[in-house]
Amino acid sequence: MEIMGKISEIPEIIQTFAKRSKNVFPPIVKNCVYQLLVNKITWVLVALLLLPCILGMIIYYQTDDQRQFQESNGEKIYVDSEGRPTHEDNRETFLDISDAFVISFVAIIMAIIFSSELINEEFENKTMQLLRTTPIHPFEILLYRYVSGVICMFGILGLNAILFYYTTMMPSGTHGIIENLDVLLMVLQVLFFESLAFIAIFCVFTAYLEKPYLVGILYWIIWESFVSGQNYQKLTITHYLNSILFDSTKAMGWDVAASDYNLINSKEEIIATEPLTAMIVILTVAVVALIIGSRGLANRQF
Amino acid sequence: MKIKLEQVTKNYGNVQGISNISLDVDKGITGILGPNGAGKSTTMKMILGLSRPSRGIVTVDGKDPFYDWQLKKNFGFVPEYDCFYENMSGLEFVMYFLRMHDFGKEEAEKIAREALSELGLDEAMERKINTYSRGMRQKTKVARATVFDPEVLVMDEPFQGADPTTRMLLMNKMTEWAKKGKTILISSHILHDVQSLTDNIALINNGKMLAHGNRHEIRNLINVPRPISIVPVKNGNLRKLAKRLLDEKWTKATAINEETNELTVETTQTEDIYLEIPKILQKEKITVKKIYSEDDSLDSLYAKLVEGRQWK
Repeated sequence: MEIMGKISEIPEIIQTFAKRSKNVFPPIVKNCVYQLLVNKITWVLVALLLLPCILGMIIYYQTDDQRQFQESNGEKIYVDSEGRPTHEDNRETFLDISDAFVISFVAIIMAIIFSSELINEEFENKTMQLLRTTPIHPFEILLYRYVSGVICMFGILGLNAILFYYTTMMPSGTHGIIENLDVLLMVLQVLFFESLAFIAIFCVFTAYLEKPYLVGILYWIIWESFVSGQNYQKLTITHYLNSILFDSTKAMGWDVAASDYNLINSKEEIIATEPLTAMIVILTVAVVALIIGSRGLANRQF
Repeated sequence: MKIKLEQVTKNYGNVQGISNISLDVDKGITGILGPNGAGKSTTMKMILGLSRPSRGIVTVDGKDPFYDWQLKKNFGFVPEYDCFYENMSGLEFVMYFLRMHDFGKEEAEKIAREALSELGLDEAMERKINTYSRGMRQKTKVARATVFDPEVLVMDEPFQGADPTTRMLLMNKMTEWAKKGKTILISSHILHDVQSLTDNIALINNGKMLAHGNRHEIRNLINVPRPISIVPVKNGNLRKLAKRLLDEKWTKATAINEETNELTVETTQTEDIYLEIPKILQKEKITVKKIYSEDDSLDSLYAKLVEGRQWK
């Protein structure tokens, strides 16, 4: 009966949240985005992300004179010494580095740091105590911080992906850049869903724990890195991100196998998830994580 | 709004924060007094719903403040410690929390400016908080807590770091808010500040409630004779009056000081003593300027209750 009573209150609570979101949401997001952008660690990560871009630029200017091209319908198509279009290699370089360096490494570190900065810092500065004496629900406290985290994380990673795509595809000329925009869109899509999932998961850790860094890193190494290559990989976010990548590359006509994305079990069976299902699972995980996290915040004492 | 604590205990692991505290707080100013680490802040945190009792019940207006988040629209909280978004200006900071109370941007700015102005921060309100002095920070905290006109105001050591002018300003404000029917709970280890604001006090030490109520009544609960001074009494009348007062059954002893023309009566009598002495003086045709008891001050009261343990 008590649970039923609480469930019946949900529409009213949602209505209250929606009604006052115009007053509560903008200042929280503005403040959180500011906090994230003035954080020194954010800029260390940005510098790290820029390394492949800088490397791409250096290679481009060093090899600029040696490039060969063929003309087709008035368009310059740059080719290698064997006459194959260079953009095919370049797009693979872009995808491989994005997957191995950005999606699997920097993005997760960024999610750990951002979620910690958004919630744990509020506890350390004791401003969370002030917030908890205002009439906003812990779910709102967490939700608006989460949205700020996603905006910042996806904003930084997305801008970096565009820049990295441009620097990687530059040697292939305008034709190469335009021809492979679907690869860029695919990476942006994965980064978006990755931001949605990991910020939410790490927000749960920060809502419950005083020192969430270590648990976050352990989760990344043990769960997302180790389990994601095993039979129970459907319990990891990495599986669903890889499924989106796998399906998209296949749809673009690339010659890829499920094993390239570790989407096979010990019996060598393909266990990839449909991309739409993968997206729904990620969204569900994010919503559930926010609900669990808000319980953690609500029960945390000062 | 009524605040009620019923046999509340709060443990932090094996450490006991407060033990079996019962307290009723109604409209007006109530002072929670006790040395550092006595349990004042823990008590306040439980009233604000920042902490949950290990045992016992805390209610504000009959509701549990830990779970009822909407109840918090009535709470104004001035914490003891600094907790600011240092990158914000005082105005932005106060506005930020007004927005959390569902105020629109323009309205929030208008009333935040008024509140900060009233507390003397006209010129500083647009400066970053990280450039503020301690007094300015204290005023900003008070402005943030009071700007939305809360029904319950919880102030943890509000005078800490405040200069005399700020202190006076805050005291006047508190008296004003109390007159408006607000429930104000103020903790302090500066007894004089609380004494000049309210007679209604709760004394806490080592997590235990030593006494609660009117400070004069609390004093009467302590069965130790207290000295009452009568000054100035003309030299010729000193002995006469001392002898006369010794005839009263409530007088335990008298002492005279011919240099200061002061007569001291030791008594265990209740407040009525302040009515009895004037009657005797009138009968004996003796004029004096003042009848007072220094021993009635919170300092001596506390010293008696904790047997000389120091405040800090």
